[in-house]
Amino acid sequence: MLRVEHLTMRYPSGKVALARFDLSVAAGELVVVLGGNGSGKTTLLRCITRMLQPTTGEIWLDGVDLAALSGERLRRARLPLAMIWQQASLVRRRTVLSNVACGALGRHGGLWTALGGLPAPERRAALYHLGEVGLADLAGQRAGTLSGGQAQRVAIARALAQQPQVLLADEPVASLDPEAADDIMRLLKQLAAEDNLAVLCVLHQVELAYAFADRVVGIRDGRMAFDLPTSDVPREAVRQLYLSEAA
Amino acid sequence: MNLDATIPPLAERGWGGAFSLAVRAVVVLLLVLVIAQSAYVVHARPQDLVTGVYGMADIVRRAMPPDFAAIDKVWWPALETVDIAIFGTLGGVILALPLAILAAANVSPSRPLYYGARGMIGFARAVPDLVWALLFVTAVGLGPFPGALALSVHSIGMLGRLFAETIEHMDMAPIDALTLTGARRMQVFTHGIVPSVLPSLTGIALYRLDENIRSSLVLGFVGAGGIGFELLSAMSLFQYRLVSLYLIVTFVIVIAAERMSALVRARLA
Repeated sequence: MLRVEHLTMRYPSGKVALARFDLSVAAGELVVVLGGNGSGKTTLLRCITRMLQPTTGEIWLDGVDLAALSGERLRRARLPLAMIWQQASLVRRRTVLSNVACGALGRHGGLWTALGGLPAPERRAALYHLGEVGLADLAGQRAGTLSGGQAQRVAIARALAQQPQVLLADEPVASLDPEAADDIMRLLKQLAAEDNLAVLCVLHQVELAYAFADRVVGIRDGRMAFDLPTSDVPREAVRQLYLSEAA
Repeated sequence: MNLDATIPPLAERGWGGAFSLAVRAVVVLLLVLVIAQSAYVVHARPQDLVTGVYGMADIVRRAMPPDFAAIDKVWWPALETVDIAIFGTLGGVILALPLAILAAANVSPSRPLYYGARGMIGFARAVPDLVWALLFVTAVGLGPFPGALALSVHSIGMLGRLFAETIEHMDMAPIDALTLTGARRMQVFTHGIVPSVLPSLTGIALYRLDENIRSSLVLGFVGAGGIGFELLSAMSLFQYRLVSLYLIVTFVIVIAAERMSALVRARLA
């Protein structure tokens, strides 16, 4: 579903954040990326979404190389790719329902949506997606009034409104308490399994990776350290990922 | 911790300490010089305040009681004053908003447009509203319209700058998130940027309306309509009781506008 080949990202300062990185995520799979601060995890996601232009390499999504596209063609090709962030990144003064329905804007090019309107079918779909994340009863509430866990669920519902095939998550539980973090990870796992989504999730919480991931990818200094089924990932290998950070 | 022990005596601070003291002395001296030259240039004579009290007292005596019988003469200029401010503010908002978007570094589509918009906003702000009013009176003649135009143009400068700063300081995370959903530029603007900054922009616009009501009173002095124009006429004709009535109405308008603006802004916050 998502395949990254020989991805290299060198910043103008000369720092190499990713070095010939290879990765693939299949439909229905939850892959967790583990690594210390500055190891290249977030750079990887930013390159995949093309928020950053990789120096070299290919990013294959649904048979199209995102790395070779720009402008309107990139926007269209990226539609099957949804992202959730460390902070929910909702428009705080809009309702929960409107925030979720905004996930579908990419499929609507008319004047109505350009002027701030939301199509009625997308509002109904948004309510359905809110039901999927268990927050249908908060549809009319302002997004700014939600707790961290609720806001992250709404962000996931917004991503679902996009009708994605691939879901990227950049430390989605970093600012949540353990219970809310468990809930979010369980939801991501469920979405991968039931909606056949390819989910790529960057995490810092090793135990959550062991508990929920189908596969774990270790990244250190921009290079792949390991890529193994969760049950085969040695604790020592994970510990090694964080050694340079501790030093 | 004993702070005295950490600060060495002056003699031990060496050249660094002495230099710092000398700089402070020079700064204080410069400050005194600036104040002194300012008082000299404006011919500041405190004794004139004392002798001027008699003249002021005479005007106040002649202005009392206010000529409430002439209240029907006040309504129209008062309405004109408020409407000049409303028109000026609305015109300013409509023109300042697109300029502010171009002049906000985080959403501006290109650098030349950014600098062009910044330049226009800076120019509109740099020229005082009174000067704009004089220009428009020359261009379109006496009356409230040149006043409204003057406030519109000056408001572009004031609002454009504040709007742009508000947009620049907004949280960009929801905007980035919306962009990544595949929303187009215009959709990101209407669904992300507008709802995020609208309350702040409305608050700024209301504050501007409040300021414009004060300004529109003064614009009348150069022939741009409203109570200011009537006030100047009454003063020229030594009708001080009418002047005091205009001043009372002016006071009521300014306070009412200020309170309403503050009330609405508090609700938006």
